[in-house]
Amino acid sequence: MVQAPQLFDYHIGWKSKGKRPGRHKSNERGMGIEFAGHTTLLSYPDPRRIDIRQSIRDPLGQIHVKIFNQRSALPVIIVCDLSASMNFGGKNKKINLATEVTQSIAHSVIDRHDALGLIGFDDEIREDWLAPISFRSQHAFTLINELKHFTSENKSNRAIKDLYQYMPRQRSLIFFISDFHMPKVDLENCLSNLMRHHVVPIVLWDKKEYKHLPDFGIVTITDPESGKKNTLFLRKELKEKIVESFEARKQLITKAFMNFDIPPFFVDEHFDANKMTEYFNQFVGT
Amino acid sequence: MTFSFPWVLWFLPLAFIPLLFKQASCQYYSWNEMIPKDNLSRIISIILKCISTFILTMIIIGLSAPHSRQQEIEKVGVGAQIGLVLDRSASMDDPFSGSDQTKVGEMKSGAAARLIIDFVQSRKNDMIGMVSFSNSAMYVLPLTDNKNAIVSAVRATAGNALFQTNIGSGLTTGAELFNKIPDSGSRAIVLLSDGAGRIDAATQEKIKDWFGRFKISLYWIVLRQPGGISIFNTSFKTRDDEPLPPQIELNKFFKTLHSPFQAYEAEDPKTLQKAIEDINQKEKNPIKYFEKIPGRDYSTHCFVIATIMLIALLILKLIEVRSWL
Repeated sequence: MVQAPQLFDYHIGWKSKGKRPGRHKSNERGMGIEFAGHTTLLSYPDPRRIDIRQSIRDPLGQIHVKIFNQRSALPVIIVCDLSASMNFGGKNKKINLATEVTQSIAHSVIDRHDALGLIGFDDEIREDWLAPISFRSQHAFTLINELKHFTSENKSNRAIKDLYQYMPRQRSLIFFISDFHMPKVDLENCLSNLMRHHVVPIVLWDKKEYKHLPDFGIVTITDPESGKKNTLFLRKELKEKIVESFEARKQLITKAFMNFDIPPFFVDEHFDANKMTEYFNQFVGT
Repeated sequence: MTFSFPWVLWFLPLAFIPLLFKQASCQYYSWNEMIPKDNLSRIISIILKCISTFILTMIIIGLSAPHSRQQEIEKVGVGAQIGLVLDRSASMDDPFSGSDQTKVGEMKSGAAARLIIDFVQSRKNDMIGMVSFSNSAMYVLPLTDNKNAIVSAVRATAGNALFQTNIGSGLTTGAELFNKIPDSGSRAIVLLSDGAGRIDAATQEKIKDWFGRFKISLYWIVLRQPGGISIFNTSFKTRDDEPLPPQIELNKFFKTLHSPFQAYEAEDPKTLQKAIEDINQKEKNPIKYFEKIPGRDYSTHCFVIATIMLIALLILKLIEVRSWL
């Protein structure tokens, strides 16, 4: 059964350079309501905008027009981590959650008539999971619908360092969906390369990874990316240690993101679109 | 350490097969580096890896039946090598002469067996062998330190008996007990008989030779027959040309032996006991002897260890988490 994805509202605290009219603040002159200044009719020949008051006051008798900034559309890119760790979660895999999130994002983006692009990566930027930014985002939608059937084959996420090469030159909004199970250095390198863009990291963690581990027993876990095996004797003590380790990790990546002024958005088990809307509210007014 | 079936050990390489196979059950996790280091988990993972190999090794070693070799331990004790030469002639089943003949007394053989058993049990480190004789010698028990065997042998003498008393054959067989047995320094033959028989000249020579060579001292306990002549009666004169009574003649012969000789005469259980106590006192020299300790079988140990390990493995398997996702 196809459920209508939840929509959320997103804002940006900066001015988009998009030519195309849309919903976001922009520096582009056009049919907006944001007053930007005056100029002469000769340089901006739009008689509809003639400012009579300003024209009368001009001792040289030139005719002035008001200039407004239009609201522009915003390029939005969804970056999705397709590494094997996204397979975690048994029936309800992380990649399914990622699909839910991308669908919500995609529909929200279409709702606001912004351009949408999708990039999937694992050890390389996946050409087959690449939808260039477009206002007619059928390709991206097709890929997003395919996403829930995707199963990675023991790939890691090394292509994170090449991501910036696939980004538009124009400042864009990037939804970065991943579990961010990667060394801090890789993450920081990636973020510094993406500094010109507005990155929204959506951190997908599963409570089954730490809080909902079994309370007692022996389990051999395999790292899907490196294939390393570890045998764990799960008990209260070790479980507490694991939860602590995840808490520490949470703090570590939050700090890493905040060094780039990017607050991360943590999702575990359920994606709440309202929370996402709230998340964007913090950028308003800055 | 030796193995009864060493060829089974060729199967030992099979024990390492479990190491070659990867663990069948494994769960995919997202990122193992998130798991903090845990020593107990590491120990358990090593155990899980090696336990099946260990179990198989134990079973294979157990099947090859390892055992230690039989050991001989040299022991030093106080005692002697004693050959018991017991008379089994029918007259031994009569009561003692000392008691009233109208009354029923303890049989000579019964009393002898009882007192000898006491004697055997009071001695700690003796090696005792046994020969019984009536009309010919019966080899019963070689020199041994196994008390149970000696006591059983002494008890077994109380059976049906024959009439003759062939002391010569008994003594030669008794001396033979000491053949090829290391000399402990204290060797004795206790000859228990009632009355005596004559020994022919050849046998006498043989006895003299062997007792001298083996350095065997002789204790002769005579259970006197009713109205019999005492062997200590030196003044006994025969009439005319008749030969001396056999016991006196035998006593005389024994005195010519090259090794120490002591004779006792017992008329009732009490005097018999005294004689035996006297021997008990005299024969107390340090004795060297070897105790045989049988090899131990270790296969049961191997199987027990394998079983314990199997149970441990089962427990580990039982608490294994199959899936929590």
